Amino acid sequence: MEEDPFDFESDALLATSPIVAPNRRRKVIGLDDLLVDHYKEKNRAIERETKLAKKTKKTYNSDDEEDGRVAKLSKYVDECHEKAHILLFFRFMTQLSDEDDVSIWGLQVFGNQKSSPSFVFSDLPSCSLFHSFMGHEVNSLVELSTESGEMFFEGLLTNGWLLKLICKCGEVEKPIATWTFHLMLYSSKEALRSAAVNFWCAILSLKDEDEPRFLKIDWLPSYSDLKGALETYGFLLHSPLEDSSDAEMVLGDSECMGSPQNIVAWIKFVAACSKARNTHFIFSKSEAEELIVVIICLLLDRQLLGLSVDLNECMLSLVNFFTDDEWSSSCAEVAKSVALRFSLSPNVPIISFVCFANVNSEKRKANEWVPFDINSLRAVDCIPAVCGHTKNLRSAIAFQILLGYFDKVEDDEEVIRQLTLINLKDKSCDLFKIYIYLVLTENWFLYNPTIKDRPLLNEMWGLYLRNCSCQINITDTRSYASKVRSKASYLLQGVTDKS
Amino acid sequence: MGTKRRRGGDGGMEENTMAILDTSCFSKSTQHIADDRLSFLEAVRSGFLVSENASAPTNKMYKAIFQILKVENSLDLIMSSYQLLLQLDKRFPQVYLSVAEKSELSSPSSSSPHRNELVVVEEAWSPFSFGPDVSSCEKQDHDKVGGSYDATDFHLLIQDLAKVVDKANTETPDSKPLRNMLLFQYLVNVLEGDFVPRNLAFTESLDWIYVRESLLNMILVSRKIAYKGLIQDCLSAICELSQFSMDCRHDVRSLETGSAEVTGKCDSAFAIALPETVKCTCAAAQKLLLMIIELDSSKKAADMEGRTTRADGLRTPALEIILDELTYDKNILFPFFQALDKPRVKLDMIVQYLLKYIPKTSVRTRRNNGSTNDSTFGGVLKCFSNGNSTKSIVKKISTEVAQLLLAQAFQAYISLPSQDSMEYKEDIAADNSLSEICNNMISAFTCLKKTDE
Repeated sequence: MEEDPFDFESDALLATSPIVAPNRRRKVIGLDDLLVDHYKEKNRAIERETKLAKKTKKTYNSDDEEDGRVAKLSKYVDECHEKAHILLFFRFMTQLSDEDDVSIWGLQVFGNQKSSPSFVFSDLPSCSLFHSFMGHEVNSLVELSTESGEMFFEGLLTNGWLLKLICKCGEVEKPIATWTFHLMLYSSKEALRSAAVNFWCAILSLKDEDEPRFLKIDWLPSYSDLKGALETYGFLLHSPLEDSSDAEMVLGDSECMGSPQNIVAWIKFVAACSKARNTHFIFSKSEAEELIVVIICLLLDRQLLGLSVDLNECMLSLVNFFTDDEWSSSCAEVAKSVALRFSLSPNVPIISFVCFANVNSEKRKANEWVPFDINSLRAVDCIPAVCGHTKNLRSAIAFQILLGYFDKVEDDEEVIRQLTLINLKDKSCDLFKIYIYLVLTENWFLYNPTIKDRPLLNEMWGLYLRNCSCQINITDTRSYASKVRSKASYLLQGVTDKS
Repeated sequence: MGTKRRRGGDGGMEENTMAILDTSCFSKSTQHIADDRLSFLEAVRSGFLVSENASAPTNKMYKAIFQILKVENSLDLIMSSYQLLLQLDKRFPQVYLSVAEKSELSSPSSSSPHRNELVVVEEAWSPFSFGPDVSSCEKQDHDKVGGSYDATDFHLLIQDLAKVVDKANTETPDSKPLRNMLLFQYLVNVLEGDFVPRNLAFTESLDWIYVRESLLNMILVSRKIAYKGLIQDCLSAICELSQFSMDCRHDVRSLETGSAEVTGKCDSAFAIALPETVKCTCAAAQKLLLMIIELDSSKKAADMEGRTTRADGLRTPALEIILDELTYDKNILFPFFQALDKPRVKLDMIVQYLLKYIPKTSVRTRRNNGSTNDSTFGGVLKCFSNGNSTKSIVKKISTEVAQLLLAQAFQAYISLPSQDSMEYKEDIAADNSLSEICNNMISAFTCLKKTDE
């Protein structure tokens, strides 16, 4: 059946389907009607296929088994029709084919940890807070000395007194700021680490109503300090494209591999910095863009799954760091960097994260071969689409990754036209690839509010979905056949419901 | 009380989304099931949270998501279902206050023009159910199908929290403690979303029925649980979790070397999430206790107005139970007050605690209308300025405990939010300015030190 996919009329299957004539459909089980029709059409095909399969497919070894399967098949098909469970019906068909290998996303984002930079505490006694203690009559009670200073200050920090003192003074002196910053990112003690991160989040967020004046912070970390910490944790700056199974083997060999505990503090601190943009300058717009990419990388590491609440929070703070006007261009930049990261093949020279914001189209075109990676779906899925900015980002990343998969394609209509031209019946057609296209396009459309005003795009998307749900045979044994089919059917239901 | 019926999402949406989970016809590998469940969560997310005017998912879907959180072992699924439930509750609150409409405002019956109306979504799904007693076998059956929590289940979950820490210390971390902690956080979030607007409506109207029908009250009055035991378990959970966070034993090395040998990859993902989860769970347990304390005070107010009935029963206020526990077990003093971050409650508790030990001659233990400043923080501090009374206090509680309590109270005192302190500081320290309190602190500590020598 080699029809022109644009020619609706000549496609016998589609012509009989109720989707073309939506008025006749009952809303709820409309798709099932489609299926019944579809099934009638396919019933003959199944018989043909099973006969064919006997010769070609290793799954069918004996006639008995085949007969059994056919009987079972028709039984379940009837059952499924009664239940009106379209997807169930498709699912059952999967059982006839080889089990799909479900690809699992996951990257190892951290490699070998380096030793933390040294920090000398001796600066601390030089600050006036320390001196005022030493000089005060209370010191007869506390007995603070220069030697016991660090212990004493650690106590102040973990019990929350340091913050109270700082609030009363209205100033964070440099020795205090650098010392707490160091504890936050490098201390191996959970109590100190979390006290320090609470301290920093509090001083960054103190506003006018809490205290009569702004808190003066004598020293603020810069973007390079944050980046330095990531390097110490062993963040793999290059896009870690080795597949996850390799990473798994590497892991466990060395004790200093794996994710650092301090990453939680790092994430919370970045979130606090982005919220404090109006009062404290810590990173610039382009640096914030890079941090968003880093957060997406961290979301791709299964080791950090348990931190996804904090990571999502951080992502939201980072995207809302930008004003609406700034966001439209920054969102595009971030999407391009993310797409570049996940469409980089291992053979292509690694682009360091320092300069990944300078994406140019030559670089993308240099990649002749683009790996189809389940991680690119995760890079889209991991973005919590709960506010306008993240919705834009999700759509933009999905589109950019999709664009990266096609050569010499620049505009959106052309991308989707290319999709509709794919012949899904061709046995050499990689359905895993189709599945990735499908999910990416879904995200691109769903989270972009302007797309609904583009009838041509929507029409082609509908066509592509119909291709995916109808052209892939129910007994197709290619991996991902059933996933593509059920996903497309599900999406098609949504598309037709709206119209 | 306004009610609103939630428009159920259209049946097609429900059927198609639920079909993603349907695996009843055949057995699939666990990986496939997990994959389907993830797709289901994603479908709910994109179907109900993206569009501005989407209706809430149907109860069947809520139930399926909650079921995933309850039984799954994969970290990915636990985290996704947990976050999805929170997002849904935020987007589709089941109880909320709405500003009364203009037409109602003009009616003479409404006394206050700014009164908010409490809206309760009818027949909305809830992770709690307090139906009539179900026989145990029925209940087991119910559990299997992904039932909701009743008071007993909730109490058991709290008891489990206290054990989380021991488990984390001895065994390799696995999904169960983490899942239970998130489950607890979610349930507390549900209780809060239900109780806070109801309690607000109560304070405006003094209509006890708002609070009486709250989920929290229904748990507390349930005959299936021992109310006192629930408070005690909650308290010990707070202390255990707080202790865990303060302990320095749980550092990177010890966790990683512990788990690397056994299975490696997954365990360290649990290990890395543990400290943060413990902290949030501790905060949630604290939130629960504070809500109970608030409920107690609302109940007291309703009692005084004669709005409660015999059916509401009598119970010891949670605050008293906590103070008793703290009296019996001094070991929990430090972790408890370290964790408690509501300055006002903390200050109140410490003052009441210390009052038990202050010689009766110098202060009356019961706060009554004629009470002097002695029953305030300033008053308590003064008792420590005098060598004799300090000595008699320290005899009952050690110097260490006295110092700890004073320090915590002082910290709470200076943390009182400014608008609060305006009215409150007047009460606690009518003639005690901040500097006077500070001076009294210093002399109290000097006195304690002298007594110790």
